[in-house]
Amino acid sequence: MLGLIARRLVQLPIILGVIYTLTLNLAWSIPGNPLENPEGRRPQPEVAAAMQRQYKLDSFWSFYWSYLDNASGVRFVRETVTGEAQRRAEAAESNGKEAPTRRVFDLGPSLQYRDQRVNEIIGGSLPVSMTLGAAAIAIALVIGVPAGVAGAIKPNSGTDMLTLSVALVGISLPTFVIGAVLLLIFPVLLGWGRIPSWGRPIDLLLPALTLSLPFAAYIARLTRLGMIEQLKSDYVRTARAKGVSEAGVLFKHALKNAFLPVLTYLGPATAYAMTGSFVVERVFVIPGMGQHFVNAVQNKDLFLIIGVVLIYASLLIILNLIVDVLYRWVDPRIE
Amino acid sequence: MLRLVVIFLVLAAVLGALVGTDRPPPRADLTFLNRTDLNTLDPQLMSWQQDFRVAKLIGEGLVTSNVFSHDYSPMPAAAERWEVSPDGKTYTFHLRKTGWSDGSPVVAGDFLYAWMRGLLPDLGADYIGFLEHIRGGREFFRWRSDRLAAFASAVRESGGRPDPQAAQRLWEETREAFNRLVKAWAPDDRTIVIELVRPTPYFLDMVGFVTFHPLCESSVRRYEVLDPLTGRVTWDQGWTKPPKLICNGPFSVEYWQFKRDVRLRRNPYYWNAASIALDTISIPTVEDTVSTVMAFRTGAVDLVNDVLAPFRAEIVAQKAAFYREHQAEVDSLRSQGLDPVEIDRRLPPDPRKNVHVFPGFGTCFWNINCSPQLADGRNNPLADARVRRALAMAIDKKAIADGIRRVGEPVAGSLIPPGSLAQYTSPRGLGYDPERARKLLAEAGYPGGAGFITLDLLVTKDGGNELIAQSIAKDWQRELGIDTTITVQEVKVFRERLRSKNFMTARASWFGDYGDPTTFLEINRSGDGNNDRNYASPVFDELLEKASNEADPLKRLALLEDAERVLVEEDLPLIPLFYFVNICMFDANKLTGISSHPRGDQLLYKVDLFGDGKGSDRPLALPPRKAGEHHQGESGS
Repeated sequence: MLGLIARRLVQLPIILGVIYTLTLNLAWSIPGNPLENPEGRRPQPEVAAAMQRQYKLDSFWSFYWSYLDNASGVRFVRETVTGEAQRRAEAAESNGKEAPTRRVFDLGPSLQYRDQRVNEIIGGSLPVSMTLGAAAIAIALVIGVPAGVAGAIKPNSGTDMLTLSVALVGISLPTFVIGAVLLLIFPVLLGWGRIPSWGRPIDLLLPALTLSLPFAAYIARLTRLGMIEQLKSDYVRTARAKGVSEAGVLFKHALKNAFLPVLTYLGPATAYAMTGSFVVERVFVIPGMGQHFVNAVQNKDLFLIIGVVLIYASLLIILNLIVDVLYRWVDPRIE
Repeated sequence: MLRLVVIFLVLAAVLGALVGTDRPPPRADLTFLNRTDLNTLDPQLMSWQQDFRVAKLIGEGLVTSNVFSHDYSPMPAAAERWEVSPDGKTYTFHLRKTGWSDGSPVVAGDFLYAWMRGLLPDLGADYIGFLEHIRGGREFFRWRSDRLAAFASAVRESGGRPDPQAAQRLWEETREAFNRLVKAWAPDDRTIVIELVRPTPYFLDMVGFVTFHPLCESSVRRYEVLDPLTGRVTWDQGWTKPPKLICNGPFSVEYWQFKRDVRLRRNPYYWNAASIALDTISIPTVEDTVSTVMAFRTGAVDLVNDVLAPFRAEIVAQKAAFYREHQAEVDSLRSQGLDPVEIDRRLPPDPRKNVHVFPGFGTCFWNINCSPQLADGRNNPLADARVRRALAMAIDKKAIADGIRRVGEPVAGSLIPPGSLAQYTSPRGLGYDPERARKLLAEAGYPGGAGFITLDLLVTKDGGNELIAQSIAKDWQRELGIDTTITVQEVKVFRERLRSKNFMTARASWFGDYGDPTTFLEINRSGDGNNDRNYASPVFDELLEKASNEADPLKRLALLEDAERVLVEEDLPLIPLFYFVNICMFDANKLTGISSHPRGDQLLYKVDLFGDGKGSDRPLALPPRKAGEHHQGESGS
């Protein structure tokens, strides 16, 4: 188990390095000047050129290496070891200035939001998205697993058909439709809940429910399939023959094994729910990270594009690792 | 099985902890919505409307405009009085006693520091041109650019070794150079003298603009960071965030949670703090246009500044229906010349009246590439002014305003919205006249469109621009026999193609920044950075030049009127389509302080909520107009 964790953690920076190179190449080729407004006044040409130089946007390779230097933490370590940082802080103090803020992994400034660092943007929005995503996955499990079990008890029965059709609707309906309908029914017509839907625990309910439905539907189908499979197997027959109660058969024996595919699915699903909730965040006005995926590309905000991509990749890798570890813990046979 | 339950319980516990630590603050006295979150709180870097709105709450320039007067007259702000020299070139401002939010006094040096900063090539301010009205501003910019280039090449020659001492020296020299070159100085802490490049009649209006706002020098200079490799100065990015940000306006920033909420609190050291009827202001970020309306309807916000929901035309139509139900009352109030907001306040309460359509200080128009050659090297038939006039007269603008936009935007003949500037009369422009259009096109050598190029219309995806392009294309095809194509591009690509003049015709808009025709006309001067049309007319340029040298204000305005006439009646490098309106939502019976002035500017610190025990609860409105005059742009008539 420890070997697995160590191996994955060594792979992490290599994978991130490859992703960084690919992403920067793609983002660099987006046309347009990231330092310019989409509407209205243009900067004077000499001002624009000076800004391009300041952010190293005039040369791909100097941008490539300087970003890598800052974001990987190499610069932080180098400046700490050589005493450069210390000297700079002292020089600033002797001139009556604040020492510049230092970050270990400095993901750079946002080119669009001139007052924000990418670290701050992600630091502020990632916890929100993670909360929303985790809540959605929790709700999806609460809905999906029992629905799947209910359907599997009597395959092709009325209950099964009903859960399957509801699941189909859950997968097919886009979240912006579900979200808008829920918003219209609850806050606007009934006066329950509010917009912007963030800040109080209860505010989480509607957006998390909206986000959870496609996941719940998928989990229900996975559970149903797994359960049908397991309920046909020999050990279930043995258990029934031994006189184990039906609930015991279902939940103690069959579900434990039927749940493994669901657990596999939960890793990427959680990562997706935590970062891919752009539509839900927009409809319910939730200050999460999803919006930055879209806006950053539209604005050609290079630092932010790379920042969110790297964070998403890390999240995906780490969550998959957690799922693998849990897998072994739940089912010790897997090695 | 137990283990699965454990996983689930851990997940739930983490969730509970995350949610529990995230508590909403109590409701602020005023909650309003901006179009999106702030881009920056750095006054010299701002160039977005949502930033300006907040900048006017947390900062204050030397003067400000009286948004509750018809002529928008300059009002004393941080300066209590000023003198202008007889030649109109030297302004002397006398500061009043007012304080930064940390309690320190606002001094003349705070303004000079901010202006020096705004003029630096290091900062890259979009509005640097405003500061260059001060004599020596341009020279200072050049001086610094040259020195930075010299610094960089010295570092290169020394093998790329950083030189912090030299960077520090250069910065000190730069501050001296500013004092030497730029003719803005402080004889004492409470006086500022500014010498202008040339007499600028609108300077008082411009000096109130956010770019001229002061910075608390004692605080901001602490965040200067000198780059030892390039000699450039930057400001540590955190300085615009509370608690580091020090404000001199009626409010200061309590916190700013990015893309979530900005909260302002009253600045007790502001000179006129007693007149402020609000203790706290909250500005949550709601970007979804439908959700902004829902947020207002559920009572979560008091004021929505830009209503952009797809169904906004229906909301506006509902208000018109409400007016029709109370026609007699509305007519009688209108005949008294009352401010439209005041009219709404006096009408019976009804949710339908909470939408307000104010004239905006901006125009939607269609750009035409006037270059002699097209991007592909062919001769450009659009370089012929007759062709451009023909194109302009063939567009049914009413169909666009009433059929596509549907929010009561007036059809535009001129570039500058009429009635937005005192004493300035915009030309009428060219009307819809397909017959004359066809004749002009034939005169230019394309009878019935024969031999004309396939004309492309370039648009961006957003804001229904595609529909407008389709309507125009249809008109040109039907009336002039011209073949058309429509190209839709992402906004970045669109901007790039306009800059490189790689287009034939394209969607465009412009909003005025200060109260003078030049804010609209300058973008058509040959070689101007915002002249996307590549329009170069010696006649037009000369009229602008003459106007800038004209001492008599009325004669100057007449020259500018002539210049605009050349633009919209003869040369047509752009075809005005309609004047924008600004649609907001608020309940006129609940709050006051929102101005309906055609310049579209707001001073939101004037907002007073009725019956909350704060402020005088006296409604604010534009003074009544004389009979016959009426407020241009207000819909529902």
